Amino acid sequence: TMLPLLLLLLPAAHGTAQLRYKPALTKEPRLEGLRTASTFVLDQPRCVFKDYGNADIWLVVALDQDASTFNNTAGPGTPETAFQSFPDPVRAYMTLNATLVNYPCPKPDGDITVLRVGSETSCAQDVTRPTCNGPLPGPGPYRVKFLALEGSVPVAETAWSEPIMLKTAKSPSSISATGSGHSAGMIAITTILSILFAILLAGLVAMLVFWSSESCGGSSSFSKPESVTVRRYNTHHVYDQPAARL
Amino acid sequence: MAKSDDCVHILQGLLVFGNVVIGMCGIALTAECIYFVSNPHDLSPLLKTTEDSDINAAAWISIFVGLALFALSILGIIGVIKASRTLLLVYIILMLITFAFEMASCITAATHQDSLTPDLFLKQMLERYQKSEPANNSDNQLTKAWDELMLQNHCCGVLGPSDWQDYTSAFRLTHSDADYPWPRACCVLDAQGLPVNLDGCKLGVPGYYNSNGCYDAISGPVNTHAWGVAWFGFAILCWTFCVLLGTMFYWSGIDY
Repeated sequence: TMLPLLLLLLPAAHGTAQLRYKPALTKEPRLEGLRTASTFVLDQPRCVFKDYGNADIWLVVALDQDASTFNNTAGPGTPETAFQSFPDPVRAYMTLNATLVNYPCPKPDGDITVLRVGSETSCAQDVTRPTCNGPLPGPGPYRVKFLALEGSVPVAETAWSEPIMLKTAKSPSSISATGSGHSAGMIAITTILSILFAILLAGLVAMLVFWSSESCGGSSSFSKPESVTVRRYNTHHVYDQPAARL
Repeated sequence: MAKSDDCVHILQGLLVFGNVVIGMCGIALTAECIYFVSNPHDLSPLLKTTEDSDINAAAWISIFVGLALFALSILGIIGVIKASRTLLLVYIILMLITFAFEMASCITAATHQDSLTPDLFLKQMLERYQKSEPANNSDNQLTKAWDELMLQNHCCGVLGPSDWQDYTSAFRLTHSDADYPWPRACCVLDAQGLPVNLDGCKLGVPGYYNSNGCYDAISGPVNTHAWGVAWFGFAILCWTFCVLLGTMFYWSGIDY
């Protein structure tokens, strides 16, 4: 009977428990600042480390290609895991120390329970704070996992997250501020007005030609309001001269 | 003969009516452009670098065109009633000159309005907002104008807070991305001018930051003015065209 018990205890003493939780970027609520150029936002690992009330839960942040080479026995707060030396020569750092008290289970409805990785700017250059949660130095990609340590012994860990890529900002000189061309309205105004103006000019020219040709003679159709009245001349009466007929 | 007289009277009546409308529209155009010129909205620092002088020039030309239209419409009415060829010829020539000026003003206003794209404001904002060594006073004014704009309209950036994330900027040079993903003016502020929830604002939690862009607030008043000058002028010119054609036809039929 002792042998199976010993066999049961042996794996627990030698290996860390692999929890089936994968850290992920927050999905609810939709955050505008989910990923910025130097920070990203993770969900808190609620109801994940239920059995490890005595452990310190650390967040391990590593470059994507170095995630598999991370050694769980590397202690937090040492030069091998100091944030200030990340990413060169340190390939993964440990930060955001917490205990189960900080992650009560279950999560109350309506509370926003997130971890903002990269929010501490004051200690980013301070080597006396190797566990600083400083802004990430590049766009990544990064992978994270949670590690529970009792003393300096790792007891549980989550899976590594999917690679997290941060935003890269473009230069504003790449924006072309020259006009995108002319709108339909402006083209319509220009063409229509040009045509109207051309017609009017043509009309003016026709008028002047008509006038100059008319002043050399021609007829008109309208009459002026004060029309010239033909006066009837009453000449001398031409009397019948019966005598002339004779 | 009586029928022809009736036609003449009808044509005269129409021309007088047309000229009355032109006169009234001229006054309206003058009044509208005086209002626009004397009431520069607070966005002028934003528009100063753009060819704002164009829209002002268009408005000034329209003021004088409006007055000219009013004066010429009176001349036209007198000329039509008196059926004087010289008066009407002078009227037509002066009207054509006025037509040309108003045409230039309309096209300028329409072209200027086209040039106010979001990209223009975006580039300007990114390069000059909160510039650390302001080259001249206009940079300070631009920063103040943007701050006021974002506060009053509860908006952020030109297209949204993502403007500050997608592009580097003069603001980014002095304010770290972790502390200031976007300017504090983009946060929902309380009565003292402090963010209601700074962490909420930095995270981008809905309700603690302004998620809209300010482009609508900028382009709204500018568009109204531009359309007012451009399209109203266009409508007046179309009407003037008809009246002038009628006057030319009337002129060619006058006895001399």
